[in-house]
Amino acid sequence: MKAFAKIHPFVLMIYFLTIVTVSMFVSNPVIKLLSLAGAFLFSFMLTDKKEKLEDIKFYLPLALLIAVTNPLFSHNGETPLFFMNGNAVTLEAVFYGIDISVMIISVMLWFKSCNIIMSSDKLIYLFGRIMPKTALIISMAIRFIPMLKRRINEVSRAQKTMGLYSVQSYTDRLHSLVRVISAVIGWSLEGAVETSRSMKSRGYALKGHTCYSDYKFTGKDTAILSVFISLTALAFWGTSGGCLRFYFYPVISELNTDFRAVVTYSAFGVLAFFPFLFEVEENIRWTYYRSKISALRTQEQKSRL
Amino acid sequence: MNIKSGSFNLVFGESGCGKSTLFRLCKREISPNGKRSGNILYKGTDISILEPKISACKIGFVGQKPDEQIVTDKVWHELAFGLENSGLKNTEIKSRVAEMSSYFGINEWYHKNTDELSGGQKQILNLASVMVMQPDILILDEPTSQLDPIAASNFIEALKKLNYDFGLTILIAEHRLEEIFPVADNAFAMENGRIIFSGNPKNVCEKLKGNNLEMSLPTPSRVWSSLEVNCECPLTVRDGRNFLRENFPDKFGREISVKNEHGSSESKNNTAIEADGIFFRYGKKLPDILENMSLTVNKGEIFSILGGNGCGKTTTLNILSGIDIPYKGCIKILGKKINSYKNNSLYRNTLAYLPQNPMSVFIKTSVREDLADILNVLDIPKNEQSYHITDISQKVGISDFLGRHPYDLSGGEIQKCAIAKILLTNPQIMLLDEPTKGMDAFYKNTLLTIMKALKNEGKTILMVTHDIEFAAEASDRCALFFDGGIVSYGVPNEFFSGNSFYTTSAGRMSRDFFKNAVLCSEIVRLCGG
Repeated sequence: MKAFAKIHPFVLMIYFLTIVTVSMFVSNPVIKLLSLAGAFLFSFMLTDKKEKLEDIKFYLPLALLIAVTNPLFSHNGETPLFFMNGNAVTLEAVFYGIDISVMIISVMLWFKSCNIIMSSDKLIYLFGRIMPKTALIISMAIRFIPMLKRRINEVSRAQKTMGLYSVQSYTDRLHSLVRVISAVIGWSLEGAVETSRSMKSRGYALKGHTCYSDYKFTGKDTAILSVFISLTALAFWGTSGGCLRFYFYPVISELNTDFRAVVTYSAFGVLAFFPFLFEVEENIRWTYYRSKISALRTQEQKSRL
Repeated sequence: MNIKSGSFNLVFGESGCGKSTLFRLCKREISPNGKRSGNILYKGTDISILEPKISACKIGFVGQKPDEQIVTDKVWHELAFGLENSGLKNTEIKSRVAEMSSYFGINEWYHKNTDELSGGQKQILNLASVMVMQPDILILDEPTSQLDPIAASNFIEALKKLNYDFGLTILIAEHRLEEIFPVADNAFAMENGRIIFSGNPKNVCEKLKGNNLEMSLPTPSRVWSSLEVNCECPLTVRDGRNFLRENFPDKFGREISVKNEHGSSESKNNTAIEADGIFFRYGKKLPDILENMSLTVNKGEIFSILGGNGCGKTTTLNILSGIDIPYKGCIKILGKKINSYKNNSLYRNTLAYLPQNPMSVFIKTSVREDLADILNVLDIPKNEQSYHITDISQKVGISDFLGRHPYDLSGGEIQKCAIAKILLTNPQIMLLDEPTKGMDAFYKNTLLTIMKALKNEGKTILMVTHDIEFAAEASDRCALFFDGGIVSYGVPNEFFSGNSFYTTSAGRMSRDFFKNAVLCSEIVRLCGG
């Protein structure tokens, strides 16, 4: 498991909420680029070689497509680059396209990492604090889907050997599949009666539920959370005076680089790179610990000799 | 019926004799609706006025179906479920869950999804998640009926341990008595909703002489009751061996003659299934499940494949039935290559496959509709259908269940209906996967009769099973499956008397005394006369 995933779910939730909100709603190219860079580096740490390749194959064309679409349809802006079918393709629209594309890709990458890090247990844990019964239903639903899939497969195989998928016509096969699915749903509902018995017999009807979890809020979690909060507060302080305001139309505005803006950029930069840096730091630490493991072993062997 | 605290109690009887109803009545939360008379007391208090918390925690219940009893998606959450309901604090839940999972050896799969577990693990999980609530009495309704023999005996071991280590009171209903009978303090024999005999297992055995229920007793007891000997009834193989040694020393050395048929009958046009050098794997990077597997089944024989869990037995059936396709090797069905059967012609009048879970055969709301459905698929006109249905249901003995919903039938009943359904396709070859799973001794006997009758009609049956006793009784030839292929063949008597572990209890009981005896009836025959 990744080191970042071991942080308390509540802290993780705060983090992902903040980073995604800022990336989506603060329209400043520096912030967006920082967010993209952080998201990219972190999501790259979470995937294996094959997935990385697939990600590049997916996100790069998507980014290009979004970037290109804007200048083709929006003709605002004052600096025409060239004319296409009598419409101006402007510099401003090109940059705005790139800006949107950076924003969308970074948010997608953050969601991708969030999906990997926030497993169903963590979500259920967070939910369960507020709505224990809903959390239980989600947990049951998560269990139900693979079971349903397995059974559909099982029944359709059994039906195949009895010649159910008889004619090779498409509609006929679809019809057979529908019958199989309806049978499986009936079967599973029948099973649900047994499940509810099992729930009742283990005291589901009793009053005063609690919600058990394996997560402990450690000192480290407190430290990380306070770092997050102070960085976010710093970034908010920066944006509050409108010093990060940036616009593309009619002319691209100038980037603010005064002290307040730089502080904000660096605060947000640390926030965006935090997961990546955390992961790197933990990896180094782990390598160090591991080297101690083998060192101990050799010592032991020596003492045995 | 009186259950002493700390005792191990066994209830047995024919399916549908009222065991489940009785058990569910003992657990207030799930008692069936209906008219009830009489009282059920827990420690002197009627269970209907017990405090809800005591009723939920102190009386534990484990049912038949491993899958359906699991509520949540994670193993740890499932263990904590009952404790969450009773409102315990996080720290307390943690220590109880931790202690139970180390007791049952769940640690290794503690963080897994419940869906990834095997049937045996699921049932252990169900037991553990009841045990975390620290019950005084555990009620188990045929907990091992859906498990294979190895998982079942692990489960029973766990129960024994709970009973010995904690003095936990256990009330269990079971079909497979071989292992559990010697452990029980009390046995209750049930028939038609009443307890006909109860007491010490040995006494119950003696009382059951001549009763129908005798069939379900362990082999040594059955041998004892067929031979009129005046001594205590043996329950285990060890006692059974002593019993033979003491009472029949003069008969030792006798043997069952084995007819050696193969060799003569292996002419080409007599083979039903021929598989040669089959290789199969489920994915490019996964290991081979079948490795150079070869198999020949003759026409008109009952052939059993035995072997451990996950060794590829079911995969073999999937391949022979054309659902999965091997990447190398050749399969011939009735002398014709399997891929030359086009458009489902393989599944019409040629081959039929009964999967492990007979439920998957049914897709309609009543057995009759399902039978009619398969006739529709076979293009049999409506006016002839009812004749076919009546005919088959008399043959298999399911006339009484035709109107019922498939889900409402018991394990044995649904298995018979499934057999009826696949028989309607009029197959020459039948492939059966674990046909005796969840069946009691009576149903096994009926199944045996049906199979023998089909054999006499000239049909070929290939079955895959864990049930050694049934294989020994039913088959003409047996094979042992191991490491991706078949390692040994043989006529049951030879096959089983050659193995010392992988053999019937009768085989273990008579080993060194008689040659080639593997069935209860064979021992009886050798001892008598």
